[in-house]
Amino acid sequence: MSEPLREQIAAYLADQLTPAEKQAFERELERDPELRIEFAELEATWQELGRLPEEQPSAALRARFYQKLHDIDSGRASVPGRGFAWWKPGLSGLVRQAAAAIVLLLLGWFAGRESLRRAITPAGDTGELRSEVQDLRRTVALTMLDKESPSSRLEGVSWSTRVDKLDPQLLTALVNTLNQDGNTNVRLSALDALEKFSDEPGVRKQLIDSLGVQKSPLVQIALIDALVHMRDRDATGELQKLSKGADVNAAVQQRAKWGLEKLKS
Amino acid sequence: MNSESDSAVMRQVQAGQTGQLAVLFERYHGALFRYLVQLSRDRSLAEDLTQEVFFRVLKYAASYDPSLAFPVWLYRMARNAYFDALKKRRGEVAGMELNDMRSEEPAPEEVFARKQDAGFLGEALAQLPEDKRELLVLSRFHNLRYQDIASILKVEAGTVKVRAYRALKELREKFCELRGERLYDV
Repeated sequence: MSEPLREQIAAYLADQLTPAEKQAFERELERDPELRIEFAELEATWQELGRLPEEQPSAALRARFYQKLHDIDSGRASVPGRGFAWWKPGLSGLVRQAAAAIVLLLLGWFAGRESLRRAITPAGDTGELRSEVQDLRRTVALTMLDKESPSSRLEGVSWSTRVDKLDPQLLTALVNTLNQDGNTNVRLSALDALEKFSDEPGVRKQLIDSLGVQKSPLVQIALIDALVHMRDRDATGELQKLSKGADVNAAVQQRAKWGLEKLKS
Repeated sequence: MNSESDSAVMRQVQAGQTGQLAVLFERYHGALFRYLVQLSRDRSLAEDLTQEVFFRVLKYAASYDPSLAFPVWLYRMARNAYFDALKKRRGEVAGMELNDMRSEEPAPEEVFARKQDAGFLGEALAQLPEDKRELLVLSRFHNLRYQDIASILKVEAGTVKVRAYRALKELREKFCELRGERLYDV
């Protein structure tokens, strides 16, 4: 078997040969048993490669992108530049500074409480300390989710993802944020957070129910993607409604149809 | 649905309609993220870079030449952003991801997953040298023509053809090696 022929195997599999090259390769494939063996092995690898699961970006990426685009449009950010400018003047900087102050306040409160607890109790119980940390994160998340500024609520969502387990109160707060928050980016972040807890009871049902509530095509599409990613067939009913709804955005309809196909396969 | 061509949308971006960047983001961010994840093997970095690439599109919009397919220009930019990030992290992070990944104790479910062929293949792909992995990713997962890949990597199309074969062959060898080792271990 000649080297140039072997070197065409990947190109053949990727459909990159001209019709004439393809014919010549197939003729040689018929004739040369060694080439056939190598081709069969590489073809199996090529096919298997195509079946590898696709990595999906988090909904937070979309949220961050739209937030930044909005900031650029409204002249609050320059192009490009990465990361948050905490020191920047202006409304956005002030909001972030306020959010940071709240977090620091809560951390101070926690540190004080913890040192008092240690002073009056014997040897520390790590289980209890862990539970305190969880409690703090939950408190910060709930506090921030309740704030007026979208940036603070985004911080709240971010804190909610640091708890080990969702309790009913935090679940309700996140679901309310997903369904009712006035800011699309915050709703997308809440979806991202809930997706992380999708194995916990009740979360998937809330996500499915949310499909019937959402009005923003962006959030609807992100929800469809999340439910398809979880392979939750219980979402079929809501997806069918979206795929046929007369007042549903065309892109959402198409994504819902795509989702139905994916869940069938 | 919006069916405007990429170059038509780019013309609007060039004309100052920054909001139109969202159209391109919706079309390409998933694919670009997957490309960057495969290249960096770091989800968090891939997300940061995906966002950065789109804002580089905005910054360099004036230099976009419509005779070049938009995805080719975009992937080139993603590649540059990745190598820029790598340069910044070089020294402190060089080789860290691979070493960290290897030194971590795999979770039971991960051990189980790795026993499956897909797990072995994913691992074999991750172990390929970066240039080979990138080529296979662009060809297999992004279905780009060799001509376009050549343009992104700035090499001849003939070179892509030969390298693609060698990359696939090496992937197969690593995959068999991994499967063999693990099967004997079990």
